[in-house]
Amino acid sequence: MENLQFDAIVVGSGITGGWAAKQLTEAGLKVLMLERGRKIEHQVDYENETKAPWEMPFRGVGDTELYNREYSVQMLNRHFTEFTQDHFVNDADQPYQKTKGSDFDWFRSYQLGGRSLTWGRQCYRWSDYDFGANKRDGFGTDWPIRYADLAPWYDMVEDFVGVSGSHEGLPQLPDGKFLPPMELNCVEAALRERILAKYPDRLITIGRTANLTEARPEQGRAHCQYRSICARGCSYGAYFSTQSATLPAAKKTGLLTVVTDAQVTKLEYDAQTRRVSAVHWIDTKTSERKRASSRIVFLNAGAFNSVHVLLNSASETMPNGLANSSGVLGTHIMDHANTMAAMAVVPGFEDRTSFGNRPTGIVIPRFRNLDKLDGDGFTRGYSFQGGALQGTWTRGKRMPGIGEDFKEELHKIGPWSMVLVVFADSMPRASNRLTLSKRLDPRGVPQLEIAFAHGKEELAALADAKKEAAAMLNSAGAHVVMGFDQPGHGGTAIHEMGGARMGWDPKTSVLNRWSQSHDVANLFVTDGAQMSSSACQNPSLTYMALTARACDAAVKMLKEGVI
Amino acid sequence: MSGTSSGWTRRDFAGGAALFALALGIPAAAVKLTDLDAADAPSDRQRKLIAEVSELVIPKTDTPGAAEVGVGDFVILALAHGLSGTRDPVATGVITPALAPFRRRDGSLSHLDWLESRLDHAAGGDFLRRGQDEQLRLLTAIDGEAMARGAEYSPWVAIKGLILTGYYTSEVGGSQELRYELVPGKWEPDIPIQPGDRAFSSDWTAVDFG
Repeated sequence: MENLQFDAIVVGSGITGGWAAKQLTEAGLKVLMLERGRKIEHQVDYENETKAPWEMPFRGVGDTELYNREYSVQMLNRHFTEFTQDHFVNDADQPYQKTKGSDFDWFRSYQLGGRSLTWGRQCYRWSDYDFGANKRDGFGTDWPIRYADLAPWYDMVEDFVGVSGSHEGLPQLPDGKFLPPMELNCVEAALRERILAKYPDRLITIGRTANLTEARPEQGRAHCQYRSICARGCSYGAYFSTQSATLPAAKKTGLLTVVTDAQVTKLEYDAQTRRVSAVHWIDTKTSERKRASSRIVFLNAGAFNSVHVLLNSASETMPNGLANSSGVLGTHIMDHANTMAAMAVVPGFEDRTSFGNRPTGIVIPRFRNLDKLDGDGFTRGYSFQGGALQGTWTRGKRMPGIGEDFKEELHKIGPWSMVLVVFADSMPRASNRLTLSKRLDPRGVPQLEIAFAHGKEELAALADAKKEAAAMLNSAGAHVVMGFDQPGHGGTAIHEMGGARMGWDPKTSVLNRWSQSHDVANLFVTDGAQMSSSACQNPSLTYMALTARACDAAVKMLKEGVI
Repeated sequence: MSGTSSGWTRRDFAGGAALFALALGIPAAAVKLTDLDAADAPSDRQRKLIAEVSELVIPKTDTPGAAEVGVGDFVILALAHGLSGTRDPVATGVITPALAPFRRRDGSLSHLDWLESRLDHAAGGDFLRRGQDEQLRLLTAIDGEAMARGAEYSPWVAIKGLILTGYYTSEVGGSQELRYELVPGKWEPDIPIQPGDRAFSSDWTAVDFG
């Protein structure tokens, strides 16, 4: 690898790294992809994919003693189980710091494919309510793009990813190029009609998910098998991941080199050419230090890790971090404020059930602060995700009873309930920020320190969400039994973003409208770090569209000799 | 035998578990008990007790009961490794005088010691020597008290939960008593429930939230 020369280096192999590798190689560039974690080969290395609970040492629940010791943060993730634990980082080996008074649970997957193996797969377009949000209420800095800039890239990305969903014609949640939707179950379908009758602006629609409802033979991907164990890895390739989709496409070009176990420590900056001149990394298996050069660099390490690399790349000419002449690098980080707004029992469907495990829930798109500012104490939006489900044996843990009658009761399919989890816009605030800690990780690299707190706008949104969720469900014949309005810790939405925000002005933003550094022309950051606001939708689809758009722009700039 | 007062050694226990697994055709991984510290090892009596208690909770019917599928040993393993928060320190405020003797130095409760003592106390002697109907009556009372709305903190809640986990994640509980379908292959959103339909142990959303 010594002094190897590439056209482009992509740092990270997750959702956006995979896209960058695909787009850049397909444009004819020779690309090096660096991944800090281990190699995971599609279909070969999904070790627990087909195992039953009785084939696992701790029955799929996992070894709490081990988790307390080595996975103390990751174990809080709902997708973290004994089946999936090898798709998450070891917290003892990958420490980070939290500024005093900050709570932030940082869920990470350091491996080939990154969090594309463990993501929630929800794919939502953002609208101009979102891209115009900062300008409208004055939080953060104005996005230098609008929906029209991104719409063709959403089209292109959805076509390749395979997103199933239902066309609803909502301006706040634009329709995309959808595969046939997965259907609502009987309770969701009934609640959709009942809620719509009372609240014409509130619509239950099926989650838009990157699970194929039709096979993609040209990509070697089968349709979803309705197992809903996606985070174990899917040998059918039925959900979109780096392994199932972008990596095979990039490899097919013959122009991709992948190096795993490569923790990038810094980008080397050449003050003469004002370009990144090399990427440095540690081979985490041998502790060897290595470097490679390229004409352009794409940072796709995951929002906070991309910022981390830039902070660690400070130099004499850029003492506050690479690409940080503005001083805003690391600031305005966000993560959706989220909580379970309502859980309700739903009578009247005792003789109905479903078959199969649908790998998505429902969504109730944003209805607050659209054309009219109607939020009480907040200026942006929230949206509900959740679904109706029937209980199984675990309900017995809360039920009195033992013996034959108890066993007979748990034999039956349980009663229906409906869950609504709220995700609210996270306001971009300068005080929520990333800095370098003085503490080092086990490889000697300064750790990241996270300062984060939700503010009064988020709390107001969650309070409204709890009230409205209860009102909607109770009016539709359900009985709400519990609900919360206090947010989970920062990070628990697993939508952490920002820190290298896009903006018009090089003095107040890190990236321009092409996800390109204002300061360093051959540097692009196209993961969550680039986000200037959070919206309340799941962000991955937007990261993908922005990545594809940035790749196209970068290739044009290379061809024109601008960079 | 080693010098432990219970007469138990790690090797005996591990060997027993492996033989037990062999007899039932359960993969050894599922009953791996070899990593238990001596302090977490149950006495022979406790091992027998938790097996019988699990059978009282989930008895043999037209499918095997909890004892037959080795749920007792799973509960021992689970308690030793702190599943369901059983090795977490218990808040001082919820420690009643009845629980205090079972508090470990780390603040957690020794669930097995508590269970043994609680059952013998309820039986006014050796619980294991009571007839099955009497055992069922005594345990039903303990269960009713612990599971009642607004009840005081009781270690029984976690023990019962682990018994259920042990049973319904076993091959018998998961795929004979309930239905297990790893690859449904299709999604049918609305179908009628037929009389006698069994719930799915492979409905992962239901397992998480149901």
